[in-house]
Amino acid sequence: MLDVNWRRQTLLIGAFAVAYGVLAAFVEHSYYLLILAVVPVWAVMGLAWNLLSGYSGFVSFGHAAFFGLGAYFVALAQIHWGLSPWLGIPGAAVIGACAGLVVGIPTFRLRGHYFALAMLAYPLALLYVFEWLGYQELALPMQRDHAFAYMQFENQHLYVWLALAMMVGAMLLTGRVERSRFGMALVAIREDEAAAEAAGIRTLAWKLKAITLSGALAGAAGGFYAVVLLVVTPPAVFGMLVSAQALIVAMFGGVATLWGPVIGAVVLVPLSEILHAQLGNIIPGIQGVVYGVAIVAVILLAPEGVFWKVKDMLVRRRERSVPELAAAIVADVVVLPVNRQRSDGPIAMEVRSVSKAFGGLQAVRDVSIRITRGEILGIIGPNGAGKTTLFNLLNGFIATDQGDILFEGVDIAGRRPYEICAAGVGRTFQVVRPFRRMSVLENVVIGAYVHCATDAQARATAEAALAQVGLQYQQHKSASMLTNKELRLLEIARALAGQPRLLLLDETLAGLGAAEVDEIIAVVRKLATQGITIVIIEHTMQAMVRLVDRFVVLNEGALLAEGLPQDITRNSAVIDAYLGKRWRAANA
Amino acid sequence: MLEIENVSAGYGAVPVLKSVSLRVKRGEFAAIVGPNGAGKTTLFKTISGIVRPTSGNIRFDGHDLLAIAPSARAHLGIAHVPEGRQIFPSLTVLENLEMGAYTPAGRHAWKDNLEKVHQWFPVLAQRASARAGELSGGQQQMLAIARGLASSPKLLMLDEPSMGLAPTAADEIFERIVAIHSGSGLTVLLVEQRVAEALHYADRGYVLEGGRVVLEGSHDELKSNDRIRQAYLGM
Amino acid sequence: MNIAQFLENFLQSLIAGLLTGSIYGLMCVGLSVIFGVMRVINFAHGDFMMLGMYAAYYAFGLLGIHALFGSAAGPYVAALLAGPVIFLAGVLAHRLLIGKVTGMRGSVLQSEGHYAQLILTLGLALILQNGGLYLFGSTPVSIATPLASNAWPVGPLYADKIEVFVNQGQMVAAVIAVVVVLGFVLVMNRSRLGKSLRAAADNPEAATYMGIDVERSHRLAFGFGVGITAIGGGLLASGTSFQPYVGLEYVIVMYAGVVLGGLGSVPGAFFGGLTIGLVQQLSTLFLPNQLQNTAIFVFFLFIVLLRPQGLFGAALRRT
Repeated sequence: MLDVNWRRQTLLIGAFAVAYGVLAAFVEHSYYLLILAVVPVWAVMGLAWNLLSGYSGFVSFGHAAFFGLGAYFVALAQIHWGLSPWLGIPGAAVIGACAGLVVGIPTFRLRGHYFALAMLAYPLALLYVFEWLGYQELALPMQRDHAFAYMQFENQHLYVWLALAMMVGAMLLTGRVERSRFGMALVAIREDEAAAEAAGIRTLAWKLKAITLSGALAGAAGGFYAVVLLVVTPPAVFGMLVSAQALIVAMFGGVATLWGPVIGAVVLVPLSEILHAQLGNIIPGIQGVVYGVAIVAVILLAPEGVFWKVKDMLVRRRERSVPELAAAIVADVVVLPVNRQRSDGPIAMEVRSVSKAFGGLQAVRDVSIRITRGEILGIIGPNGAGKTTLFNLLNGFIATDQGDILFEGVDIAGRRPYEICAAGVGRTFQVVRPFRRMSVLENVVIGAYVHCATDAQARATAEAALAQVGLQYQQHKSASMLTNKELRLLEIARALAGQPRLLLLDETLAGLGAAEVDEIIAVVRKLATQGITIVIIEHTMQAMVRLVDRFVVLNEGALLAEGLPQDITRNSAVIDAYLGKRWRAANA
Repeated sequence: MLEIENVSAGYGAVPVLKSVSLRVKRGEFAAIVGPNGAGKTTLFKTISGIVRPTSGNIRFDGHDLLAIAPSARAHLGIAHVPEGRQIFPSLTVLENLEMGAYTPAGRHAWKDNLEKVHQWFPVLAQRASARAGELSGGQQQMLAIARGLASSPKLLMLDEPSMGLAPTAADEIFERIVAIHSGSGLTVLLVEQRVAEALHYADRGYVLEGGRVVLEGSHDELKSNDRIRQAYLGM
Repeated sequence: MNIAQFLENFLQSLIAGLLTGSIYGLMCVGLSVIFGVMRVINFAHGDFMMLGMYAAYYAFGLLGIHALFGSAAGPYVAALLAGPVIFLAGVLAHRLLIGKVTGMRGSVLQSEGHYAQLILTLGLALILQNGGLYLFGSTPVSIATPLASNAWPVGPLYADKIEVFVNQGQMVAAVIAVVVVLGFVLVMNRSRLGKSLRAAADNPEAATYMGIDVERSHRLAFGFGVGITAIGGGLLASGTSFQPYVGLEYVIVMYAGVVLGGLGSVPGAFFGGLTIGLVQQLSTLFLPNQLQNTAIFVFFLFIVLLRPQGLFGAALRRT
């Protein structure tokens, strides 16, 4: 997405539009011209759907709401105010945008299937309302005197070219979004919203922007549709088929791509329209069946659309033939522990009497820790001791029941994860959470946005972060192709791109072999020497004792002990917690 | 009875078990100990079929276990009492036990098994119609074990039965398990955090660390081995 | 309008709400089995109901139920027969399509699985609706029982000023609905099959350890879910006419009822459906008839935004 050659993309769009427009010039039959005019409308609807649901992953079955509102606005504005569609269609876009915002604010508070259900409800509700208002069939009045001023062209070709212009506009807009941090943020949200937030992405703000823009495009499409058909009925513009068409056109062609909805529209719309024309009398409902079958086939066989399926096949073939570029090993691998007493110096983070319970289970119990700037602190403890819960509290994913958390003297309790990230706290996750559909560089750039005003700065910061962990030669590799070790380094790099002063590493060494563990330890050491405070949760004790300055031991949610590695590993309470009292008794 | 040969398994890109081999003989009490992240629960999940190994094979009672669907493995006589109890919270205590007796072997011996289970864990008889989600941790653990026994298994696999329990409750559970083993000759495979207890009663022990078996032996050999402490605490 | 008039309208709406609400409750029970056991959003649920209505229609006409049982009782028998037929359809749909994107096999990430279910069932809905249009034609049909045109008077109450009516057809349908719900709840609670379905819903991993085939449980749950809702549809058909797009009208009703009742609670779903019926009928007191369904949508949005865990029923805890 970052490295798309936009000049080439623009040329391609232009070439496609010209070819389409020229082809249309040769068609004279009015029914086919109608189809040619309608295809770009659905392409725009598909792009609109894509902008929200394709890129961000929030599946909307309700785009008909924006489409219908746009259509009715243009029709009613012309009927009641004499407003020409030349102004009406932009107006429809504004209406669509406002509707998007109004819908988005409450609905984004819903998760998963509730979101989809709610989105389904909006157009259906509007359908009933408009029927009740008496707008069962609204015809746009004929304007013989000022036909052109009212977009009522003698020459049908003009409709096609106008539709094409609208589609080109939508494509250029989508292309722009794709390349910018807007698009990147949306994809990150789709891939892993929690990880995106932890990396500093303001998820709600971007989602609202997406639905607003999406609503605007859908509204404009609806407005134009009304002009082309000259008749607006509630089922035709608010019905489920409209939402389904927006969805299938984007899905068939390729979710979250620029060309996907266009491909989908060009293939599916003429197909269904012609089938409807030829067989509509014999087989009523043929259109719906075609779209239904297309949806089912796509989701089972090529869930992300034709575009991605083809691309995946090509990429796989290419990556097999390119030899593996070895990752550069950073610095020297230090095996001996470096014992540094770091109990003085300014406090980076202070946790004061923090508690958290889930239902009846006390996960964290009155825990107080002081983390000195620049130290490497290890948090250990038996299974279920509350370590990850503690991280989730520090990071803002969950709120404390009691207690304070101060980062550099400032209370961060109750702040959202992206705010805490912006304040200087970075995090990696126990279960690795890369953005699989993006390249290594793109993954890290997401992390850089929080402190980089321009996209160029973000890219430079990302490249620097990758160099710090030794992944700079893997920049353009897809994240889905990385090994476990590389994924761990990627997560660290993404957190580093946010320029943190404190880094929370959650089981970064899980599943790694001995040599890989040494590599990661070397990277972490280097980060600490650069002044970043590190807090790490780990089970791999062999590694931890070589890495950390100090241990904090949690057991059953409470602080059990803290101190230097050599003291902790012989501490009787700690041994009890890990091995059981009887062990200590038997081996005293 | 159970033979695990060079099994490697993991989740997605993350390998957890690296060529693990172990055997449990009929009637034996075997224990697996090791620090967190070592792969103990993953091993059980692989035996039960929830996780598919990337290599290696598992034989149970002469069957190639990997060729058998996960939900069919219980019918062969494997009872898995999972980590964290995992009872069915909205079902009653009795219904949970009935689900334990889902297999034909379990249904056949239902009456006998129910009686025995009530003897070993009287609280389950007292609270037969209570919702399982309302029981205390220790009671739920008893229910989970009883549920495993209700299938009339040939092999009982217990994953950290004492986890999250108060020491006295954990002691009680442990004593019952031992009594059941010595009373019925059932083959038991136990994963336990409480190393000393596990190794004390077990005939044979395996120490799992970082996905590999780093130590194995009879309980005499392992009883006071400092390598075990090292496995848990790193130095 | 005076008090007596208002009271009369109110009571009439209340009664109508309780009666249609009972049928909605039955439909919601069907959906809650699917939603509760499988955590699947089935956008095609309304369309399976539509299939059930047509199954009842054809059983009534073509298969001679009308002849056997007469026009008063016949529709109800046909409605009940629709259940097993749609059960089989559901099992087939699950085996061929839905099972491929749901359950333990279907998803790597929770979110990916959801996405595929939503889209697949949407596609299925389109196919069913429009296929239905082709197979059954767009003319509305019904298997109205003559009982639907008769009503028992209740009253006079309140010193002769109030008289309300209980529609006989609706009353019979409501009673049947309640009986079916009770029967189903009994099966779920007492039978081994029912317990294994509930166990699979509580904890699919542990259920597998017990030897329960979770995939099969899901298939059966799906079949039961659509089958039960089909009976509800058949009962509705005994009073009103319907056409192939009828499913869309009821999808939101059913989801509203299930969500209101609390996910995973079968009795809760019944009461949720009952409440929705009441809301729908009572809304006619101050809203025009055509906006009945809009009132439900708005109500649904409120529930989902303000109290997604529902009013009744416990939230399903997956261990």
